[in-house]
Amino acid sequence: MDFKDYYKILGVEPTADDKAIKTAYRKLARKYHPDVSKEKDAESKFKDVNEAYEALKNAEKRAEYDEIRKYGQHGQPFQGPPGWQGRSSGGFEDNGDFSDFFSSIFGSRGGGFGGQSGRSAGRRGQDVEMELPIFLEETLSGESKPISFQIGGVSKTLNVKIPAGVTDGERIRLKGQGGPGVGGGANGDLYLIIRFAPHPKFDVEGHDLVITVPLAPWEAALGTKVAIPTLTSKVMMTIRPDSQSGQRMRIKGHGLADKHGQRGDLYAQLKVVMPTHGDEATKALWQELADKAAFDPRAQWSN
Amino acid sequence: MSSTLIVQLDMERFCEEANIPATYVIEIVEHGIIEPQGRTPDVWRFEDYELVIARRAAKLRDDLQMEWEGVALALDLIEEVQQLRAENQRLKQQLGRFVSQ
Repeated sequence: MDFKDYYKILGVEPTADDKAIKTAYRKLARKYHPDVSKEKDAESKFKDVNEAYEALKNAEKRAEYDEIRKYGQHGQPFQGPPGWQGRSSGGFEDNGDFSDFFSSIFGSRGGGFGGQSGRSAGRRGQDVEMELPIFLEETLSGESKPISFQIGGVSKTLNVKIPAGVTDGERIRLKGQGGPGVGGGANGDLYLIIRFAPHPKFDVEGHDLVITVPLAPWEAALGTKVAIPTLTSKVMMTIRPDSQSGQRMRIKGHGLADKHGQRGDLYAQLKVVMPTHGDEATKALWQELADKAAFDPRAQWSN
Repeated sequence: MSSTLIVQLDMERFCEEANIPATYVIEIVEHGIIEPQGRTPDVWRFEDYELVIARRAAKLRDDLQMEWEGVALALDLIEEVQQLRAENQRLKQQLGRFVSQ
């Protein structure tokens, strides 16, 4: 059990007054609130901050803590003063989210935060949220996917059916698959948050997909046929003569699926690319084109 | 063909599964944070995705000592930020395919 310096956690001096402690707490609670924060470890930092405030906001607890603090250093193993025994000696009382260190000083007098309703006997297990990265291909068919996660140090593996037509950021609720309930309380739920893994070829726009199609200048000028990859196979697409970079063409029904099994569209977006280097003969041909085309690309600066 | 199962919960089930008191749920609905079907609490029907929103609202209120108006505003803004981040990421990825190094 490591010692926790609650002043350090709140970023205040040990001499700080109640008002300064409250302000520091409020700022950090906002900063690390798991629903608001994009910081890594926001959740554990938020817990630390809450615990620190719980210990310091009350004069009696703070005095008790200050006494013990003389014998500890932040992050170092903590034994306590000579003859000190601490308070947690088993027992079934629940300490909410506070650490062993906290309960060894204050016993189970924690509480005071969290929205426990205390309606039923026992405590409901924790809900667990987990991001589930999936490939775009996996959103089409309702495939099953094994997922592994840890709850309270116990590894669990579930086979989860990814519903066809899931969207990025969607939550899938697996009832009762979260943390186990205590004293007859129900199990918590597991929420999987779907995250689309970036695809090397396709970008996602709602239920549509966009693929960028590189073309040689002469292909754009003369037209051609190109095999366009789709999520599942390929389709042939005709590029008309005088096509432009940035132009989009719709390939119907090759996008992502929605909940009703309808498919969005795939858009092929053209991108004219230059050859990286040319030999003398090629240069001569470009020169000939430059002389004959009489084209001013900068007649218009923006479209 | 796959079918989508929509789970609806009444007030009692909703409170139990979200693990928040009925007084909270009433405030959350009155502030338009979630919108159940039905006119009065005894006939309210919630959808199962609304559990997360309600729980998140209750947590913000308790953890940050916020008023419900503030909670509603914060949730709207959080959602907007998330949408903008996702859009920004998408556009960056698309732009990256056009801009050469």
